[in-house]
Amino acid sequence: MAYFILKRLVQSVFVMIAVAFLAFSLFRFVGDPITQMTGVETAIEDQERLREELGLNDPFVVQFYRFTGDMLQGDFGYSYRTRQSVGEMIASRIPATLELGTVALLISLIVGIPTGVYTALRPRGFVTQSILLTTLVGVSIPTFVIGIMLIFLFGVQLGWLPTFGRGGTVQVGGWESSLFTIDGWRALLLPAITLGVYQLTLTMRLVRAEMMEVLRSDYIRFGMARGVPMRSLYFRHALSNTMVPVITIIGLQFGGVIAFSIVTESVFQWPGMGLLFLESIRFVDIPVMGVYLVVIAFFFVLVNLIVDLLYVAIDPRLRIKDES
Amino acid sequence: MSFKVLKRSALIGSALLVSAAAASAESFKWASNTDPQTMDPHAVNSAPVLSFLNNIYEGLVRRNQGMAIEGSLAESWEPLEGEDGWRFYLRQGVTFQDGSAFNAEDVMFSYQRASNEAADVRSWFAPVKEVRVVDDYTVDFVTNAPNPLFPDSIANFMILDKGWAEANGAELPARDAENYATMNVNGTGPFTLASRDPGVKTVLVPNANWWGEVEHNVTEATFTPIGNAATGLAALLSGEIDFIQPIPLQDVAQVESRDGFKVLEGEETRVIMFGFGHEHEELLYSTDVTGTNPFQDVRVRMAAAHAIDIASIDRVLFRGKIDGASQLVPAGISGYSEANSTRPAYDPEKAKALLAEAGYPNGFSFGLKCPNDRYINDEALCRAAASMFAAVGLNAELSTGPVRDYWPQLRADEFDMYLLGWSPGTFDMEHPIRFLMSTPNSEKKLGSWNFGGYSNARVDELLPGIQREVDPAARQAMVDEVVAITQEEVAYIPLYTQPLIWAAKDNVDLTQRADNFFMLRWVTVN
Amino acid sequence: MREFIKRYEGLWLFSRSPAAIIAAIVAVLSILGAVFAPLIAPANPYDLASFSLMDGLLPPVWEEFGNPKFLLGTDDQGRDMVSSILYGARLSLIIGLSAMAIATVLGVGLGLAAGYYGGRFDMIVMRIADIQLALPAILTALLIDGIARGVLPSEMQQDLRVAVLTLAIALSLWVNFARTARASTFVQMQKEYVQAAIITGQRPIRVMFVHILPNILGPLLVIMTVDLASAILLEATLSFLGIGLPADSPSLGTLIRIGMQFMLSGEWWILWIPTLFLVALVVSINILGDFLRDVFNPRLR
Repeated sequence: MAYFILKRLVQSVFVMIAVAFLAFSLFRFVGDPITQMTGVETAIEDQERLREELGLNDPFVVQFYRFTGDMLQGDFGYSYRTRQSVGEMIASRIPATLELGTVALLISLIVGIPTGVYTALRPRGFVTQSILLTTLVGVSIPTFVIGIMLIFLFGVQLGWLPTFGRGGTVQVGGWESSLFTIDGWRALLLPAITLGVYQLTLTMRLVRAEMMEVLRSDYIRFGMARGVPMRSLYFRHALSNTMVPVITIIGLQFGGVIAFSIVTESVFQWPGMGLLFLESIRFVDIPVMGVYLVVIAFFFVLVNLIVDLLYVAIDPRLRIKDES
Repeated sequence: MSFKVLKRSALIGSALLVSAAAASAESFKWASNTDPQTMDPHAVNSAPVLSFLNNIYEGLVRRNQGMAIEGSLAESWEPLEGEDGWRFYLRQGVTFQDGSAFNAEDVMFSYQRASNEAADVRSWFAPVKEVRVVDDYTVDFVTNAPNPLFPDSIANFMILDKGWAEANGAELPARDAENYATMNVNGTGPFTLASRDPGVKTVLVPNANWWGEVEHNVTEATFTPIGNAATGLAALLSGEIDFIQPIPLQDVAQVESRDGFKVLEGEETRVIMFGFGHEHEELLYSTDVTGTNPFQDVRVRMAAAHAIDIASIDRVLFRGKIDGASQLVPAGISGYSEANSTRPAYDPEKAKALLAEAGYPNGFSFGLKCPNDRYINDEALCRAAASMFAAVGLNAELSTGPVRDYWPQLRADEFDMYLLGWSPGTFDMEHPIRFLMSTPNSEKKLGSWNFGGYSNARVDELLPGIQREVDPAARQAMVDEVVAITQEEVAYIPLYTQPLIWAAKDNVDLTQRADNFFMLRWVTVN
Repeated sequence: MREFIKRYEGLWLFSRSPAAIIAAIVAVLSILGAVFAPLIAPANPYDLASFSLMDGLLPPVWEEFGNPKFLLGTDDQGRDMVSSILYGARLSLIIGLSAMAIATVLGVGLGLAAGYYGGRFDMIVMRIADIQLALPAILTALLIDGIARGVLPSEMQQDLRVAVLTLAIALSLWVNFARTARASTFVQMQKEYVQAAIITGQRPIRVMFVHILPNILGPLLVIMTVDLASAILLEATLSFLGIGLPADSPSLGTLIRIGMQFMLSGEWWILWIPTLFLVALVVSINILGDFLRDVFNPRLR
């Protein structure tokens, strides 16, 4: 097992380097950082000098080598735009994104799994049909429209929840968290729902499909014939058997959640990594874009690793494969 | 001409200070779409930074509510005798926010810092030959040539404390890694920094030792950047912020219809215009014309100008909030040419006739480049303009993109016609003549934004005179001539002056300045 | 004979499901409208000379100031909403369907093979998937857009925006298919019927596509239906983030993005009519997808 984990960690380094390489190869297409860094009155030769200083005239390979080399030494460079250390900038934004993504995912699981089970057990009921239709409508409206609608409904018309930002945050061991104040939770609610709608629908439909499949399988029918209580059949046997594909998707979803949090963060002015990334695209802040992507790649690799380990824990049959 | 400014009565100043402190003190929250990227006043020459830092730092001179220049850290100034340049008499008894005294050494230091290669604002000092400290409170700026506009051009040149910068290793603006001045301030201005979380929140508090008379009643001011316009509007309407700049045009009615909110409308100094690829020998994006560039024919350029229906653009896209522009600066800017204040009328028939006369009775196709995130409604404007051009036979292939990619395309000459907005940094007509109408010449730093390479020998010849002439009437005559030439040759098609739309709660009194700068010292929360 | 009964059964089920009937009608009408947009639309929204700013911001015909010439009103450019929506739906469907098709073929193929062969091949596919996932859709779009811009002559670039966008969306979606197919294949590989097929010496391609694929279609169909929606929506989102289609040749997503500006200004139709149309289209596609899944997978009935 230790060998398996070690192997995956080595692979993940290659994944991150590949992401950095791809990212770097596209930066030149994003735009010109120099015109975004200087004022209109700046002389052309001053612009050129800056370009030279930043090494933007160097060949792509040299720039990439410098970036990865520095990064491997723990030097994440400095933002073109703010001149701050990119490592610090990203680190200070990670808690916001992770908390938002986790809460969105939790909402989608807490709501998605029970409704998935319910709609599988009563596939023809009116409630089931209404739930299915509502969630479908939910995922058919673009996220940014939903976000703005929620803001105007709950923030402006009803005045219940804040319209932007993180609300009250507290420092917990260097981690800026909004999970410990009422204010923080109020600010978190709308963005987490906006971000979670799509994941919720996917989870629910997936659980439903798997559950319906399992309920038709022989062992459940056999169990029924044996007189095993229905509740135990549904939840101990049927539901646990749906978990492998569900966990795959959840693992994937976390990636999707982080990627889609770009839109949600921008709509709610949520100060996470996604918002920072969008800003850095706008200003062609290459060091920030590069580090963001590598950090995201790291998260993906980590989550995938955990998902794979969970497989093994849940489904013992897969263990044989790995050991062979 | 006297440039002496009366020294304010210290007595009145302190009396007002007391009364303001007695009035109900308020915290104030505001938002804008861009975060100032640094707290260093010399690092970047960009409006969000200069606007924000004008609350913390001060220059030798400053602009009042009506944009006129008045004394700030300099109480008065006068032309040097016997040589070109200006002498500034500094205000005495001013202290920086950390308590150290302000004097001529700080001006000298700030000049050296701001004119260094590491500073993006150094172009302001291109006309300066030398700076001399005469005594503790007198500084001379010697210029290469007579420069009547020099004091106006350094209103955003902010003064740093020499001792503070040196003690903290911030002698120069940050070039690679950040330095102390990127995140910390020590100005002489009415406010100082309480906390800063870049891109998230910046808090200012009043400077208790400020030399000026306090007109505001703000005890704490919190700034939040909100990039998404709809979110910003929601933040205002829900009461979480007191003021926002700007709001989208189409939402003005919505804000006005609600109790407790108001909209502040004005005109920016920015003129929006179309430019041509004057020096291109052929069209780059045409499907039917090769080997020649019809826009080199003045009749074709004039036809394009007559095809634009500003009244409809105003009514539908801008909800009646713009005025057509006849030249590259709006009325009210110094040097504005009253003599040439009519713009080409909307006249599609005439446009067609001119095209036929130029040899294109059936029109032709060409590429029109526009940004989609730079000016108010820029993309919608270009779509409307493309439709208007098409109506007279000018078939524009419109291509729009974000500004991060737009300037590089213009610099690479990838356009037949393009959209540009220009705000005269010095609030004088000389500015667009220098940047947009002069033959491009990187050595002389002329025409650096004249992407199409418009060139007229007479215009080039008149510019130095306009820069040096001290007599207003003689100067205006030269400016009038330039405007007349460029109108006749349709160097650009000036469209309109960009509107300026802010929104605030009813109980907030504030001043909207035409440069879109927001000054906390004019805010009163009732 | 079996096929006939299956089809017959499907039709019978269809006639008993009002939701499926309504969905089918909506979907068929939208698709027909989209396909025949050039024939039935009152105006051509791509023809700049055919509309005028003078007609801008007219409300739908049933509201005050409505103009019978513009049944659902006009946008800020004076474009007829009916025509814009028909042409927009056409573009959205083209993008959505082709992106989904590419993603399915790519994802299911790689996922099946990864699950079947395991080992090194699986490792490589999954790491490529990681790389893909780590690049958000917006960056994939920027990358492809950038390459297209570097490789293609500039006059072709505007025309190829649709292809570029489709490819970018497809690349952002294939991983879902691949990982799900892989996970399900792993499970199927343990089953006797697969082992039996392998032992009897059937070719891997045959085992994968004839034996395994039908048995893992359930979760894949769920992803397909949901992902067709997300493909169409992703296009809208990319446009919201500033890298979608140009505003003068809009898809439904771009229409919604433009309409967002008018959410509060009183011109509700510019946002909500395209949104309503998109929702109706996506929901009915999903309902039909669900229905088809039930038909093809009788065990779920």
